[in-house]
Amino acid sequence: MTRTLAVVRLAAFLLLATATAAFAQSAEDIVRRLEANQRFRTQEAEGALIITDRFGSRTKTFVSYAEGRERMLLAFTNPEEKGQKILRLQDEIYLYFPDAEEVVRLQGSALKEAVMGSDFSYEDLTGEKSLLDLYEVRLLGSEKLQGREQHLLELKARGRGVAYPLQKLWVDAVEFIPRRAAYYALSGRLLKTLEVLEVRQVAGRSVMSRAIMRDALKKNSSTEFRVDRVKLDQPLPKNLFSLEALSW
Amino acid sequence: MKLAALAFRNIRRNRRRSVLSGSAIALATLIITLMFSILAGILGDYRANVVRYLTGHVRLRNMAYDANERLNPLHLSVPGYRDLVSRLEEEPGVAAVAPRIQFATAVYREERTFGGLGLGVDFDREQAVMQVQHSLVAGRLPRMGQREILLPAGLAAEVGAGVGDKLTLLGKNKYLGMAGMTFTVTGIARFPVAGFNRSFLLVPIDTAERLLKMEGEATEVLLLARDDRRVAALAARANEIVSEAGLTGVEARAWERIGMWHTLMRLVDTMYNFIALFFFILGTTVIINTTMMVIFERLREIGTISALGMKPGEIVRLFFLEAFFISIIAALAGVLLGSALTAVLSRTGVDLSRAMQGVSFEVSPVIRPKLNARSTVFVFFYSVAVASLASFLPSRRAARIQPVEALRSI
Repeated sequence: MTRTLAVVRLAAFLLLATATAAFAQSAEDIVRRLEANQRFRTQEAEGALIITDRFGSRTKTFVSYAEGRERMLLAFTNPEEKGQKILRLQDEIYLYFPDAEEVVRLQGSALKEAVMGSDFSYEDLTGEKSLLDLYEVRLLGSEKLQGREQHLLELKARGRGVAYPLQKLWVDAVEFIPRRAAYYALSGRLLKTLEVLEVRQVAGRSVMSRAIMRDALKKNSSTEFRVDRVKLDQPLPKNLFSLEALSW
Repeated sequence: MKLAALAFRNIRRNRRRSVLSGSAIALATLIITLMFSILAGILGDYRANVVRYLTGHVRLRNMAYDANERLNPLHLSVPGYRDLVSRLEEEPGVAAVAPRIQFATAVYREERTFGGLGLGVDFDREQAVMQVQHSLVAGRLPRMGQREILLPAGLAAEVGAGVGDKLTLLGKNKYLGMAGMTFTVTGIARFPVAGFNRSFLLVPIDTAERLLKMEGEATEVLLLARDDRRVAALAARANEIVSEAGLTGVEARAWERIGMWHTLMRLVDTMYNFIALFFFILGTTVIINTTMMVIFERLREIGTISALGMKPGEIVRLFFLEAFFISIIAALAGVLLGSALTAVLSRTGVDLSRAMQGVSFEVSPVIRPKLNARSTVFVFFYSVAVASLASFLPSRRAARIQPVEALRSI
């Protein structure tokens, strides 16, 4: 009996110690580890956006290339939009259409528009800055999602130049990748939610390979983001992230 | 007969009085005639603009399109529209057929974007429907199959683009993906409605099909009827043709049953009738007032002719005839002058563009009054009847007064 009690006490102590250790990590530390985990020199991926709304479901396939956090190129490969490209250079977004003689630079309210009618906006593609530069971060506690321990963070915008003034982020306590996110307006109204459905190990790194974004302001609307193939830190063609290269 | 001659003599005897009385009647008649013409012009213009630019007499669309219109649902289309257009053109009751693709778009030029409403049209067929060739103020119409665009004057000024310039149209394709294509401006149009002038940009329908991935599909097909009183029958016939073609999701509707335009037109019609009534009352008051004043002014004369032996009934008839003759001449003059003025204004137009700034209504800022034979004839008889009847009351009262009393009261 005494031995049993001792085991229970030990277990309780270990649990408490683990929890305390977890909270001992500051919110900033968690964000730093999260961002370090998502930092690649280069990334090349193939995947699809599966958009579901009141009119049914549509699939847009793409290949994407990224270099650091500043440069990204998304080229659509499905027959309806084949050849269309989205280029991000720092915070600038450019659209390329094979039938257009000029490259379209998106700015202002156009950045809030949906990419291919999905639940992602062009603004969601931007953001090379660290979350810590843009948001004040607070650790709200921990929660379990699908049996995995998560750090629950609250992010409050420091200024006005962000797409979402308030965010809640569930960060996997072991892999330090986001598992869920909720995006809010300044008024506190829920705008979008992101649910990570699948994480894949690539070259020893955890990479989000399937996620679903839902626009809370649209009924019966969701966009599944699926990565079928991904290569990390492989050399990319030179001059890939330039306006001149878009027409290639 | 003797009284009629006497009445004519009285009219001629005091010309100034007769002219004064007649002028009031003529002026009131002229204003009412002109007012009716202007109102008929506004309503006719509204109807023509709605039918030619928006609905046709009959419009064929996918049944689910209207409920989702604000989402620009290009996939809710009229498939195989070319065969359908050919079939509809064979119908004897059809004067013209115009297939269109309507799409929400943004004009991109020099890193600036401007909202607009794109219309993919068949420029040859639109000569009979939208009559766009009459709206052209610079350049030429786009050629079918080419990446050419006709810009409305308002939008062209805003964008800063002229004939020969290039611009890119952005939008969503049928699959709700992105769409973008560069066009050359070949012409500038000034549409009759200010709202259209700011938003309507026209491209060849086959080019629009490529831009929007709508091969062989239109968002609507508009019909003009040979006889606009048989629009409902034409819609029913179009539905039969649609059914024969196996286009199960497509429906033809008469323009009266589309949107709020017809309801709005009826509302405006009622409103205008109230305005017309106001002018009628004003005109009637002028006629009654002048006629009664003229009779009361002639009490001494009434006393004299009564003392000479004319019976009260004869006095009433005499004054009635005087008013009747004056009103016939005056009303005729008023109607003729009103009609002439209408004819002139219908050519020159009445420019209400300043008054209509910011008004979102399918009426042209330059109104062309339209003479309506039925209302003009009615105005003539109404003026004659009011002036003649207005003479009864004072002349009956005057005729009952004793001659001595009548002479003393002056």
